[in-house]
Amino acid sequence: MTTEIAGTVAGKAAVPGKVPPPAAPVVGRRGGSLAGWLGALPFLLFLSVFLIAPIATNIWTSFRVDGNFSLDPMARLFEPQYRDAFIQTINLSLLTAGVGGVLGLILAWALATSTRPQWLRNLVLSFSAVASQMGGVALAFAFIAAIGVQGMVTHVVLALTGWDLSASIPLASFWGLALVYLYFQVPLMAILMLPAFGSLKKQWSEAAYSLGASRFRYLRDVALPIMWPPIVGALLLLFANSFSAYATAYALAGGRVNLVPILIGFFTSGNVMTDDSFAAALVTGMIIIVVAAMGLRTMLERRTNKWLR
Amino acid sequence: MVALETTARPQAAPHRLTLRGSVQVAIFAVALVLFFTPLVASAVFGFTLPGKGLTLEPLTDALQGTDFAAQLSSTLQLALLSTLGSLLLLVPTLLFLHLKAPKMLRLTEWLSVVPYVVPAIALVGGANLFFRNVAPSFLVSTYSLVPFYMVLSLPLVYRTLDAGIRALDVRTLFAASASLGATPLQTLVRIILPNMRPALLGASLLSCALVLGEYALASLLLHSTFPVFMVQVGMNQPRAAAALSFLTILATWLLLAALSGASAGRGRVKKTTITKGGSR
Repeated sequence: MTTEIAGTVAGKAAVPGKVPPPAAPVVGRRGGSLAGWLGALPFLLFLSVFLIAPIATNIWTSFRVDGNFSLDPMARLFEPQYRDAFIQTINLSLLTAGVGGVLGLILAWALATSTRPQWLRNLVLSFSAVASQMGGVALAFAFIAAIGVQGMVTHVVLALTGWDLSASIPLASFWGLALVYLYFQVPLMAILMLPAFGSLKKQWSEAAYSLGASRFRYLRDVALPIMWPPIVGALLLLFANSFSAYATAYALAGGRVNLVPILIGFFTSGNVMTDDSFAAALVTGMIIIVVAAMGLRTMLERRTNKWLR
Repeated sequence: MVALETTARPQAAPHRLTLRGSVQVAIFAVALVLFFTPLVASAVFGFTLPGKGLTLEPLTDALQGTDFAAQLSSTLQLALLSTLGSLLLLVPTLLFLHLKAPKMLRLTEWLSVVPYVVPAIALVGGANLFFRNVAPSFLVSTYSLVPFYMVLSLPLVYRTLDAGIRALDVRTLFAASASLGATPLQTLVRIILPNMRPALLGASLLSCALVLGEYALASLLLHSTFPVFMVQVGMNQPRAAAALSFLTILATWLLLAALSGASAGRGRVKKTTITKGGSR
Protein backbone atom coordinates (compact mmCIF):
# COMPACT_ATOMS: atom_id res chain seq x y z
CA MET A 1 0.00 0.00 0.00
CA THR A 2 2.79 2.37 0.89
CA THR A 3 4.58 1.63 -2.29
CA GLU A 4 1.73 2.59 -4.48
CA ILE A 5 2.06 6.30 -4.95
CA ALA A 6 5.72 5.79 -5.58
CA GLY A 7 4.86 3.00 -7.96
CA THR A 8 2.71 5.31 -9.92
CA VAL A 9 5.00 8.26 -9.83
CA ALA A 10 8.34 6.56 -10.02
CA GLY A 11 7.22 4.74 -13.06
CA LYS A 12 6.01 1.32 -13.96
CA ALA A 13 9.44 0.31 -15.12
CA ALA A 14 9.64 -1.43 -11.78
CA VAL A 15 7.18 -4.11 -12.87
CA PRO A 16 8.02 -5.12 -16.39
CA GLY A 17 6.73 -8.36 -17.71
CA LYS A 18 3.23 -7.78 -16.45
CA VAL A 19 2.13 -6.06 -19.58
CA PRO A 20 2.96 -8.33 -22.48
CA PRO A 21 5.08 -6.78 -25.23
CA PRO A 22 3.01 -4.80 -27.71
CA ALA A 23 1.32 -7.63 -29.53
CA ALA A 24 0.45 -6.07 -32.81
CA PRO A 25 1.69 -2.56 -33.50
CA VAL A 26 -1.12 -1.87 -35.93
CA VAL A 27 -0.02 1.66 -36.46
CA GLY A 28 3.41 3.14 -36.49
CA ARG A 29 5.04 4.78 -33.50
CA ARG A 30 3.72 8.21 -34.28
CA GLY A 31 0.26 6.89 -35.00
CA GLY A 32 0.35 4.91 -31.78
CA SER A 33 1.07 7.92 -29.65
CA LEU A 34 -1.56 9.90 -31.53
CA ALA A 35 -4.10 7.19 -30.71
CA GLY A 36 -2.93 7.34 -27.13
CA TRP A 37 -3.51 11.06 -26.91
CA LEU A 38 -6.88 10.71 -28.55
CA GLY A 39 -7.90 7.91 -26.20
CA ALA A 40 -6.79 9.84 -23.17
CA LEU A 41 -8.40 13.03 -24.42
CA PRO A 42 -11.69 12.82 -22.50
CA PHE A 43 -9.81 12.08 -19.29
CA LEU A 44 -7.31 14.87 -19.90
CA LEU A 45 -10.03 17.36 -20.79
CA PHE A 46 -12.03 16.44 -17.73
CA LEU A 47 -9.06 16.91 -15.42
CA SER A 48 -8.04 20.13 -17.16
CA VAL A 49 -11.41 21.71 -16.54
CA PHE A 50 -12.18 20.43 -13.07
CA LEU A 51 -8.76 20.11 -11.47
CA ILE A 52 -5.97 21.85 -13.36
CA ALA A 53 -7.86 25.00 -14.36
CA PRO A 54 -9.18 25.69 -10.84
CA ILE A 55 -5.71 25.22 -9.32
CA ALA A 56 -4.09 27.32 -12.02
CA THR A 57 -6.66 30.07 -11.62
CA ASN A 58 -6.13 29.99 -7.91
CA ILE A 59 -2.35 30.27 -8.11
CA TRP A 60 -2.64 32.98 -10.77
CA THR A 61 -5.08 34.94 -8.62
CA SER A 62 -2.88 34.71 -5.57
CA PHE A 63 -0.21 36.69 -7.38
CA ARG A 64 -2.42 39.43 -8.72
CA VAL A 65 -3.89 42.57 -7.23
CA ASP A 66 -6.11 44.78 -9.38
CA GLY A 67 -4.92 43.13 -12.56
CA ASN A 68 -1.22 43.48 -11.89
CA PHE A 69 1.38 41.03 -10.74
CA SER A 70 1.95 41.39 -7.04
CA LEU A 71 3.50 39.51 -4.19
CA ASP A 72 1.33 41.31 -1.64
CA PRO A 73 -1.28 38.58 -1.11
CA MET A 74 1.40 35.97 -0.46
CA ALA A 75 3.27 38.42 1.78
CA ARG A 76 0.12 38.94 3.82
CA LEU A 77 0.29 35.28 4.80
CA PHE A 78 3.07 36.36 7.15
CA GLU A 79 0.89 38.82 9.04
CA PRO A 80 0.65 37.64 12.66
CA GLN A 81 -2.95 36.41 12.50
CA TYR A 82 -2.41 34.28 9.42
CA ARG A 83 1.07 33.21 10.33
CA ASP A 84 -0.41 32.01 13.58
CA ALA A 85 -2.99 29.95 11.66
CA PHE A 86 -0.24 28.27 9.66
CA ILE A 87 1.79 27.63 12.79
CA GLN A 88 -1.22 26.20 14.63
CA THR A 89 -2.13 23.96 11.72
CA ILE A 90 1.45 22.77 11.35
CA ASN A 91 1.65 22.12 15.08
CA LEU A 92 -1.61 20.20 15.04
CA SER A 93 -0.44 18.16 12.07
CA LEU A 94 2.98 17.50 13.60
CA LEU A 95 1.43 16.49 16.91
CA THR A 96 -1.18 14.15 15.46
CA ALA A 97 1.28 12.71 12.95
CA GLY A 98 3.89 12.14 15.67
CA VAL A 99 1.65 10.69 18.36
CA GLY A 100 -0.51 8.90 15.80
CA GLY A 101 2.64 7.58 14.17
CA VAL A 102 4.04 6.07 17.37
CA LEU A 103 0.72 4.53 18.43
CA GLY A 104 0.04 3.40 14.88
CA LEU A 105 3.43 1.70 14.70
CA ILE A 106 2.67 -0.20 17.89
CA LEU A 107 -0.68 -1.25 16.49
CA ALA A 108 0.91 -2.24 13.17
CA TRP A 109 3.50 -4.30 15.02
CA ALA A 110 0.77 -6.13 16.93
CA LEU A 111 -1.24 -6.69 13.75
CA ALA A 112 1.79 -7.91 11.81
CA THR A 113 3.15 -10.33 14.38
CA SER A 114 0.10 -11.58 16.20
CA THR A 115 -1.14 -15.04 15.33
CA ARG A 116 -2.91 -16.29 18.38
CA PRO A 117 -6.54 -15.27 18.35
CA GLN A 118 -6.94 -14.90 14.61
CA TRP A 119 -10.48 -13.52 14.89
CA LEU A 120 -9.34 -10.73 17.23
CA ARG A 121 -6.58 -9.72 14.86
CA ASN A 122 -8.94 -9.70 11.88
CA LEU A 123 -11.52 -7.69 13.78
CA VAL A 124 -8.95 -5.05 14.73
CA LEU A 125 -7.59 -5.03 11.19
CA SER A 126 -10.96 -4.41 9.56
CA PHE A 127 -11.82 -1.78 12.15
CA SER A 128 -8.52 -0.04 11.52
CA ALA A 129 -9.24 0.03 7.80
CA VAL A 130 -12.61 1.64 8.40
CA ALA A 131 -11.50 4.02 11.14
CA SER A 132 -8.60 5.23 9.02
CA GLN A 133 -11.17 6.43 6.50
CA MET A 134 -13.46 7.93 9.06
CA GLY A 135 -13.60 11.59 9.57
CA GLY A 136 -15.69 14.48 8.70
CA VAL A 137 -18.94 15.50 10.23
CA ALA A 138 -20.08 12.12 11.52
CA LEU A 139 -16.89 11.54 13.50
CA ALA A 140 -17.12 15.02 15.00
CA PHE A 141 -20.62 14.42 16.35
CA ALA A 142 -19.70 10.95 17.56
CA PHE A 143 -16.96 12.55 19.63
CA ILE A 144 -19.32 15.21 20.94
CA ALA A 145 -21.55 12.35 22.07
CA ALA A 146 -18.60 10.67 23.76
CA ILE A 147 -16.52 13.38 25.41
CA GLY A 148 -18.53 16.53 24.83
CA VAL A 149 -20.07 18.49 27.68
CA GLN A 150 -23.01 16.08 27.88
CA GLY A 151 -21.11 13.12 26.48
CA MET A 152 -21.48 9.59 27.72
CA VAL A 153 -17.83 9.15 28.66
CA THR A 154 -17.78 12.57 30.31
CA HIS A 155 -20.72 11.56 32.51
CA VAL A 156 -19.21 8.22 33.44
CA VAL A 157 -15.83 9.71 34.27
CA LEU A 158 -17.44 12.53 36.24
CA ALA A 159 -19.55 10.09 38.25
CA LEU A 160 -16.61 7.79 38.96
CA THR A 161 -13.82 10.25 39.66
CA GLY A 162 -15.35 13.68 39.84
CA TRP A 163 -13.08 14.86 37.02
CA ASP A 164 -14.79 16.89 34.32
CA LEU A 165 -13.24 15.63 31.12
CA SER A 166 -15.00 18.10 28.86
CA ALA A 167 -13.70 21.04 30.88
CA SER A 168 -10.09 19.85 30.82
CA ILE A 169 -10.06 18.96 27.14
CA PRO A 170 -12.79 20.95 25.41
CA LEU A 171 -13.44 19.50 21.97
CA ALA A 172 -13.46 22.94 20.39
CA SER A 173 -9.81 23.50 21.19
CA PHE A 174 -6.43 22.59 19.82
CA TRP A 175 -6.09 19.59 22.13
CA GLY A 176 -9.65 18.44 21.55
CA LEU A 177 -9.11 18.50 17.79
CA ALA A 178 -5.83 16.63 18.22
CA LEU A 179 -7.63 13.91 20.15
CA VAL A 180 -10.30 13.52 17.48
CA TYR A 181 -7.73 13.51 14.66
CA LEU A 182 -5.89 10.69 16.40
CA TYR A 183 -8.98 8.56 15.91
CA PHE A 184 -8.18 8.31 12.21
CA GLN A 185 -4.44 8.99 12.31
CA VAL A 186 -3.53 5.98 14.46
CA PRO A 187 -5.33 3.36 12.35
CA LEU A 188 -4.15 5.08 9.17
CA MET A 189 -0.55 4.75 10.30
CA ALA A 190 -1.15 1.10 11.19
CA ILE A 191 -2.70 0.35 7.80
CA LEU A 192 0.08 2.17 5.97
CA MET A 193 2.84 0.40 7.89
CA LEU A 194 1.45 -3.14 7.69
CA PRO A 195 2.95 -3.98 4.27
CA ALA A 196 6.36 -2.77 5.42
CA PHE A 197 6.18 -4.93 8.54
CA GLY A 198 4.98 -7.82 6.43
CA SER A 199 7.92 -7.59 4.08
CA LEU A 200 10.59 -7.48 6.77
CA LYS A 201 12.01 -10.85 5.90
CA LYS A 202 12.23 -13.36 8.67
CA GLN A 203 15.58 -14.53 7.36
CA TRP A 204 17.08 -11.15 8.19
CA SER A 205 16.31 -11.43 11.86
CA GLU A 206 17.33 -15.08 11.92
CA ALA A 207 20.61 -14.25 10.21
CA ALA A 208 21.25 -11.41 12.64
CA TYR A 209 20.47 -13.49 15.71
CA SER A 210 22.52 -16.41 14.47
CA LEU A 211 25.48 -14.07 14.11
CA GLY A 212 25.03 -13.13 17.72
CA ALA A 213 23.18 -9.86 17.41
CA SER A 214 21.00 -8.79 20.28
CA ARG A 215 17.40 -7.84 19.68
CA PHE A 216 18.35 -4.17 20.04
CA ARG A 217 21.25 -4.54 17.66
CA TYR A 218 18.97 -6.16 15.09
CA LEU A 219 16.47 -3.31 15.39
CA ARG A 220 19.16 -0.66 15.15
CA ASP A 221 21.30 -2.10 12.38
CA VAL A 222 18.84 -4.06 10.24
CA ALA A 223 15.20 -3.23 10.85
CA LEU A 224 15.47 0.52 11.30
CA PRO A 225 17.63 1.29 8.25
CA ILE A 226 15.16 -0.61 6.10
CA MET A 227 12.03 0.66 7.79
CA TRP A 228 12.77 4.33 8.13
CA PRO A 229 11.81 5.44 4.63
CA PRO A 230 8.32 3.89 4.84
CA ILE A 231 7.92 5.18 8.40
CA VAL A 232 8.85 8.74 7.49
CA GLY A 233 6.77 8.46 4.31
CA ALA A 234 3.72 7.39 6.29
CA LEU A 235 4.30 10.20 8.79
CA LEU A 236 4.36 12.71 5.93
CA LEU A 237 1.06 11.36 4.64
CA LEU A 238 -0.41 11.67 8.13
CA PHE A 239 0.86 15.23 8.27
CA ALA A 240 -0.76 16.13 4.95
CA ASN A 241 -3.91 14.33 5.97
CA SER A 242 -4.29 16.35 9.12
CA PHE A 243 -3.23 19.58 7.46
CA SER A 244 -6.01 19.39 4.92
CA ALA A 245 -8.82 18.21 7.20
CA TYR A 246 -11.68 20.67 7.14
CA ALA A 247 -15.03 19.07 7.94
CA THR A 248 -13.98 17.57 11.26
CA ALA A 249 -12.37 20.78 12.45
CA TYR A 250 -15.24 22.95 11.31
CA ALA A 251 -17.97 20.79 12.85
CA LEU A 252 -16.11 20.66 16.18
CA ALA A 253 -14.59 24.06 16.55
CA GLY A 254 -16.02 26.41 13.96
CA GLY A 255 -13.96 29.56 14.22
CA ARG A 256 -12.70 28.87 17.73
CA VAL A 257 -9.43 27.36 16.59
CA ASN A 258 -7.31 29.34 14.19
CA LEU A 259 -6.54 26.83 11.45
CA VAL A 260 -5.70 27.33 7.78
CA PRO A 261 -8.51 25.13 6.36
CA ILE A 262 -11.07 26.92 8.51
CA LEU A 263 -9.75 30.31 7.43
CA ILE A 264 -10.00 29.25 3.80
CA GLY A 265 -13.56 28.15 4.48
CA PHE A 266 -14.46 31.55 5.92
CA PHE A 267 -12.93 33.38 3.00
CA THR A 268 -14.50 31.14 0.39
CA SER A 269 -17.98 31.25 1.84
CA GLY A 270 -17.80 35.02 2.11
CA ASN A 271 -18.20 35.09 5.87
CA VAL A 272 -15.43 37.60 6.05
CA MET A 273 -14.67 40.50 3.76
CA THR A 274 -14.28 39.15 0.27
CA ASP A 275 -10.75 39.34 -0.96
CA ASP A 276 -10.18 36.91 -3.79
CA SER A 277 -6.45 37.43 -3.98
CA PHE A 278 -5.87 36.79 -0.34
CA ALA A 279 -8.22 33.79 -0.18
CA ALA A 280 -6.34 32.39 -3.15
CA ALA A 281 -3.04 33.07 -1.40
CA LEU A 282 -4.19 31.04 1.60
CA VAL A 283 -5.05 28.14 -0.69
CA THR A 284 -1.72 28.46 -2.49
CA GLY A 285 0.08 28.41 0.84
CA MET A 286 -1.75 25.27 1.83
CA ILE A 287 -1.06 23.55 -1.48
CA ILE A 288 2.64 24.40 -1.19
CA ILE A 289 2.86 22.73 2.20
CA VAL A 290 0.90 19.64 1.17
CA VAL A 291 2.87 19.29 -2.06
CA ALA A 292 6.12 19.55 -0.10
CA ALA A 293 5.04 16.80 2.28
CA MET A 294 3.75 14.48 -0.41
CA GLY A 295 6.69 15.17 -2.74
CA LEU A 296 9.12 14.25 0.01
CA ARG A 297 7.12 11.10 0.58
CA THR A 298 7.38 10.12 -3.08
CA MET A 299 11.13 10.56 -2.98
CA LEU A 300 11.38 8.43 0.13
CA GLU A 301 9.27 5.72 -1.40
CA ARG A 302 11.66 5.29 -4.25
CA ARG A 303 14.19 4.29 -1.63
CA THR A 304 11.67 2.01 0.01
CA ASN A 305 11.04 0.12 -3.16
CA LYS A 306 14.60 -1.08 -3.27
CA TRP A 307 14.15 -3.23 -0.17
CA LEU A 308 10.53 -3.82 0.55
CA ARG A 309 8.43 -5.54 -2.02
CA MET B 1 -1.56 -6.83 0.42
CA VAL B 2 -2.13 -7.64 4.02
CA ALA B 3 -0.77 -11.09 3.55
CA LEU B 4 1.18 -11.62 6.70
CA GLU B 5 2.44 -15.08 7.14
CA THR B 6 4.50 -14.21 10.16
CA THR B 7 4.18 -17.11 12.50
CA ALA B 8 5.38 -17.16 16.04
CA ARG B 9 8.82 -18.60 16.29
CA PRO B 10 8.31 -22.17 17.44
CA GLN B 11 11.70 -22.31 19.14
CA ALA B 12 11.08 -19.29 21.29
CA ALA B 13 10.77 -19.93 24.98
CA PRO B 14 7.14 -20.48 25.94
CA HIS B 15 7.39 -17.82 28.61
CA ARG B 16 8.37 -15.15 26.13
CA LEU B 17 5.68 -16.23 23.71
CA THR B 18 2.92 -15.76 26.22
CA LEU B 19 4.28 -12.39 27.29
CA ARG B 20 4.39 -11.22 23.70
CA GLY B 21 0.99 -12.68 22.96
CA SER B 22 -0.61 -11.01 25.93
CA VAL B 23 0.94 -7.66 25.05
CA GLN B 24 -0.59 -8.00 21.60
CA VAL B 25 -3.98 -8.96 22.98
CA ALA B 26 -3.80 -5.98 25.32
CA ILE B 27 -3.01 -3.66 22.40
CA PHE B 28 -5.92 -5.07 20.43
CA ALA B 29 -8.27 -4.72 23.39
CA VAL B 30 -7.32 -1.09 23.97
CA ALA B 31 -7.61 -0.35 20.24
CA LEU B 32 -11.06 -1.91 20.02
CA VAL B 33 -12.33 -0.09 23.10
CA LEU B 34 -11.09 3.22 21.70
CA PHE B 35 -12.49 2.53 18.23
CA PHE B 36 -15.88 1.59 19.63
CA THR B 37 -16.28 4.28 22.28
CA PRO B 38 -17.39 7.12 19.98
CA LEU B 39 -19.67 4.77 18.06
CA VAL B 40 -21.36 3.40 21.16
CA ALA B 41 -21.55 6.87 22.64
CA SER B 42 -23.21 8.31 19.55
CA ALA B 43 -25.72 5.44 19.50
CA VAL B 44 -26.53 5.80 23.19
CA PHE B 45 -26.57 9.58 23.12
CA GLY B 46 -28.61 9.73 19.94
CA PHE B 47 -31.23 7.12 20.71
CA THR B 48 -31.93 7.74 24.37
CA LEU B 49 -33.34 10.55 26.46
CA PRO B 50 -32.70 10.96 30.18
CA GLY B 51 -35.56 9.26 32.03
CA LYS B 52 -37.10 7.89 28.87
CA GLY B 53 -34.76 5.14 27.87
CA LEU B 54 -34.53 3.99 24.31
CA THR B 55 -36.40 6.34 21.99
CA LEU B 56 -36.40 7.76 18.52
CA GLU B 57 -37.72 11.05 19.82
CA PRO B 58 -34.59 13.21 19.37
CA LEU B 59 -34.31 12.07 15.80
CA THR B 60 -37.96 12.42 14.82
CA ASP B 61 -38.19 15.81 16.56
CA ALA B 62 -35.23 17.14 14.66
CA LEU B 63 -36.36 15.79 11.33
CA GLN B 64 -39.88 17.12 11.64
CA GLY B 65 -40.60 19.97 9.30
CA THR B 66 -37.21 19.81 7.60
CA ASP B 67 -36.59 18.75 4.05
CA PHE B 68 -34.45 15.95 5.35
CA ALA B 69 -35.73 13.53 2.73
CA ALA B 70 -34.81 15.92 -0.08
CA GLN B 71 -31.30 16.37 1.25
CA LEU B 72 -30.75 12.70 1.74
CA SER B 73 -32.03 11.99 -1.74
CA SER B 74 -29.82 14.66 -3.29
CA THR B 75 -26.80 13.12 -1.56
CA LEU B 76 -27.76 9.66 -2.79
CA GLN B 77 -28.21 11.01 -6.31
CA LEU B 78 -24.83 12.69 -6.13
CA ALA B 79 -23.25 9.44 -5.00
CA LEU B 80 -24.89 7.54 -7.83
CA LEU B 81 -24.06 10.11 -10.52
CA SER B 82 -20.46 10.60 -9.40
CA THR B 83 -19.90 6.86 -9.35
CA LEU B 84 -21.47 6.37 -12.76
CA GLY B 85 -19.55 9.33 -14.12
CA SER B 86 -16.24 8.00 -12.83
CA LEU B 87 -16.86 4.56 -14.29
CA LEU B 88 -17.99 5.92 -17.64
CA LEU B 89 -14.96 8.17 -17.87
CA LEU B 90 -12.32 5.82 -16.56
CA VAL B 91 -13.27 2.32 -17.74
CA PRO B 92 -13.21 3.11 -21.48
CA THR B 93 -10.16 5.33 -21.14
CA LEU B 94 -8.19 2.77 -19.18
CA LEU B 95 -9.18 -0.14 -21.40
CA PHE B 96 -8.28 1.81 -24.50
CA LEU B 97 -4.92 2.88 -23.14
CA HIS B 98 -4.06 -0.59 -21.90
CA LEU B 99 -4.87 -1.97 -25.33
CA LYS B 100 -3.52 0.65 -27.66
CA ALA B 101 -1.20 3.00 -25.89
CA PRO B 102 0.22 1.65 -22.62
CA LYS B 103 2.81 4.42 -22.67
CA MET B 104 0.12 6.98 -21.96
CA LEU B 105 -0.69 5.19 -18.72
CA ARG B 106 2.29 6.82 -17.05
CA LEU B 107 0.86 10.25 -17.61
CA THR B 108 -2.68 9.35 -16.64
CA GLU B 109 -1.50 7.58 -13.52
CA TRP B 110 0.56 10.53 -12.51
CA LEU B 111 -2.42 12.81 -13.04
CA SER B 112 -4.67 10.50 -11.08
CA VAL B 113 -2.75 11.11 -7.85
CA VAL B 114 -2.69 14.89 -8.22
CA PRO B 115 -5.93 15.24 -6.18
CA TYR B 116 -3.96 13.89 -3.21
CA VAL B 117 -2.08 17.16 -3.02
CA VAL B 118 -5.14 19.30 -3.61
CA PRO B 119 -7.32 18.95 -0.53
CA ALA B 120 -11.06 19.42 -1.00
CA ILE B 121 -10.87 22.74 0.82
CA ALA B 122 -8.24 23.94 -1.65
CA LEU B 123 -10.12 22.66 -4.67
CA VAL B 124 -13.24 24.51 -3.62
CA GLY B 125 -11.40 27.83 -3.53
CA GLY B 126 -9.98 27.35 -6.99
CA ALA B 127 -13.25 26.04 -8.40
CA ASN B 128 -15.09 29.04 -7.06
CA LEU B 129 -12.66 31.46 -8.67
CA PHE B 130 -12.46 29.67 -11.98
CA PHE B 131 -16.13 29.00 -12.61
CA ARG B 132 -17.29 32.35 -11.31
CA ASN B 133 -15.21 33.92 -14.07
CA VAL B 134 -15.84 31.39 -16.82
CA ALA B 135 -19.33 30.02 -16.34
CA PRO B 136 -21.05 31.75 -13.43
CA SER B 137 -24.25 29.73 -13.67
CA PHE B 138 -22.49 26.39 -13.52
CA LEU B 139 -22.08 26.21 -9.76
CA VAL B 140 -25.71 27.02 -9.06
CA SER B 141 -27.00 23.52 -9.57
CA THR B 142 -26.37 20.89 -6.90
CA TYR B 143 -25.36 18.53 -9.67
CA SER B 144 -22.34 20.72 -10.37
CA LEU B 145 -20.76 18.90 -7.44
CA VAL B 146 -20.61 15.68 -9.47
CA PRO B 147 -17.42 16.43 -11.46
CA PHE B 148 -15.64 17.64 -8.34
CA TYR B 149 -16.57 14.50 -6.46
CA MET B 150 -15.24 12.54 -9.40
CA VAL B 151 -11.97 14.43 -9.04
CA LEU B 152 -11.79 13.83 -5.29
CA SER B 153 -12.39 10.11 -5.64
CA LEU B 154 -10.07 9.81 -8.64
CA PRO B 155 -6.97 8.49 -6.85
CA LEU B 156 -8.87 5.63 -5.26
CA VAL B 157 -11.16 4.81 -8.17
CA TYR B 158 -8.42 5.01 -10.79
CA ARG B 159 -6.15 2.69 -8.88
CA THR B 160 -8.87 0.15 -8.17
CA LEU B 161 -9.92 -0.03 -11.81
CA ASP B 162 -6.35 -0.05 -13.06
CA ALA B 163 -5.47 -2.96 -10.77
CA GLY B 164 -8.55 -4.82 -11.98
CA ILE B 165 -7.56 -4.36 -15.62
CA ARG B 166 -3.92 -5.27 -15.02
CA ALA B 167 -5.03 -8.52 -13.43
CA LEU B 168 -6.90 -9.42 -16.61
CA ASP B 169 -4.35 -9.24 -19.41
CA VAL B 170 -6.86 -7.58 -21.73
CA ARG B 171 -4.69 -7.87 -24.85
CA THR B 172 -4.69 -11.64 -24.77
CA LEU B 173 -8.40 -11.74 -24.02
CA PHE B 174 -9.18 -9.48 -26.95
CA ALA B 175 -6.89 -11.42 -29.27
CA ALA B 176 -8.28 -14.78 -28.17
CA SER B 177 -11.88 -13.75 -28.52
CA ALA B 178 -11.20 -12.06 -31.87
CA SER B 179 -9.68 -15.28 -33.14
CA LEU B 180 -12.94 -16.99 -32.23
CA GLY B 181 -14.81 -14.43 -34.31
CA ALA B 182 -16.08 -12.01 -31.68
CA THR B 183 -16.29 -8.32 -32.42
CA PRO B 184 -14.49 -5.99 -30.01
CA LEU B 185 -17.85 -4.87 -28.61
CA GLN B 186 -18.89 -8.44 -27.90
CA THR B 187 -15.57 -9.06 -26.17
CA LEU B 188 -16.03 -5.96 -24.09
CA VAL B 189 -19.56 -6.75 -22.95
CA ARG B 190 -19.29 -10.51 -22.56
CA ILE B 191 -15.68 -11.03 -21.50
CA ILE B 192 -14.00 -7.92 -20.15
CA LEU B 193 -16.72 -6.24 -18.11
CA PRO B 194 -17.94 -9.42 -16.35
CA ASN B 195 -14.35 -10.19 -15.40
CA MET B 196 -13.90 -6.68 -14.06
CA ARG B 197 -16.89 -6.92 -11.76
CA PRO B 198 -14.92 -6.98 -8.50
CA ALA B 199 -12.93 -3.91 -9.55
CA LEU B 200 -16.06 -2.10 -10.73
CA LEU B 201 -17.80 -2.91 -7.47
CA GLY B 202 -14.82 -1.85 -5.39
CA ALA B 203 -14.45 1.43 -7.24
CA SER B 204 -18.17 2.14 -6.89
CA LEU B 205 -18.22 1.49 -3.16
CA LEU B 206 -15.19 3.70 -2.54
CA SER B 207 -16.71 6.49 -4.57
CA CYS B 208 -20.06 6.21 -2.78
CA ALA B 209 -18.44 6.16 0.65
CA LEU B 210 -16.56 9.34 -0.19
CA VAL B 211 -19.57 11.23 -1.55
CA LEU B 212 -21.83 10.25 1.35
CA GLY B 213 -19.52 11.98 3.81
CA GLU B 214 -18.25 14.92 1.78
CA TYR B 215 -18.81 18.22 3.53
CA ALA B 216 -16.27 20.87 2.49
CA LEU B 217 -17.26 21.26 -1.17
CA ALA B 218 -20.99 20.97 -0.60
CA SER B 219 -21.14 23.47 2.23
CA LEU B 220 -18.79 26.04 0.70
CA LEU B 221 -20.48 25.92 -2.67
CA LEU B 222 -23.75 26.43 -0.76
CA HIS B 223 -25.48 23.18 -1.62
CA SER B 224 -27.52 21.38 0.97
CA THR B 225 -26.53 17.76 1.08
CA PHE B 226 -26.88 15.28 3.90
CA PRO B 227 -23.63 16.14 5.72
CA VAL B 228 -24.46 19.83 5.48
CA PHE B 229 -27.87 19.10 6.95
CA MET B 230 -26.22 17.15 9.75
CA VAL B 231 -24.10 20.14 10.73
CA GLN B 232 -27.16 22.39 10.78
CA VAL B 233 -28.99 19.93 13.01
CA GLY B 234 -25.93 19.62 15.22
CA MET B 235 -25.95 23.35 15.98
CA ASN B 236 -28.88 23.00 18.35
CA GLN B 237 -29.88 19.34 18.49
CA PRO B 238 -26.78 17.39 19.40
CA ARG B 239 -28.73 14.22 20.15
CA ALA B 240 -30.29 14.07 16.72
CA ALA B 241 -26.91 14.82 15.15
CA ALA B 242 -25.39 11.97 17.14
CA ALA B 243 -28.14 9.61 15.96
CA LEU B 244 -27.59 10.64 12.33
CA SER B 245 -23.83 10.30 12.76
CA PHE B 246 -24.22 6.81 14.10
CA LEU B 247 -26.38 5.82 11.14
CA THR B 248 -23.91 7.42 8.71
CA ILE B 249 -20.94 5.67 10.25
CA LEU B 250 -22.83 2.39 10.21
CA ALA B 251 -23.75 2.81 6.54
CA THR B 252 -20.18 3.73 5.58
CA TRP B 253 -18.86 0.83 7.57
CA LEU B 254 -21.20 -1.59 5.82
CA LEU B 255 -20.17 -0.18 2.43
CA LEU B 256 -16.50 -0.65 3.19
CA ALA B 257 -17.10 -4.07 4.73
CA ALA B 258 -18.92 -5.06 1.54
CA LEU B 259 -15.88 -3.83 -0.34
CA SER B 260 -13.41 -5.95 1.59
CA GLY B 261 -15.84 -8.86 1.38
CA ALA B 262 -16.09 -8.45 -2.37
CA SER B 263 -12.37 -8.26 -2.94
CA ALA B 264 -11.62 -11.12 -0.56
CA GLY B 265 -14.34 -13.30 -2.06
CA ARG B 266 -13.19 -12.94 -5.63
CA GLY B 267 -9.52 -12.78 -4.94
CA ARG B 268 -9.07 -10.96 -8.24
CA VAL B 269 -8.51 -7.42 -7.22
CA LYS B 270 -5.65 -6.78 -4.94
CA LYS B 271 -7.02 -5.62 -1.66
CA THR B 272 -8.18 -2.15 -2.46
CA THR B 273 -5.93 0.64 -1.49
CA ILE B 274 -7.16 2.86 1.19
CA THR B 275 -4.88 5.71 1.84
CA LYS B 276 -6.26 9.06 2.51
CA GLY B 277 -9.82 9.94 3.28
CA GLY B 278 -11.38 12.54 1.11
CA SER B 279 -14.34 13.40 3.26
CA ARG B 280 -12.71 15.09 6.15
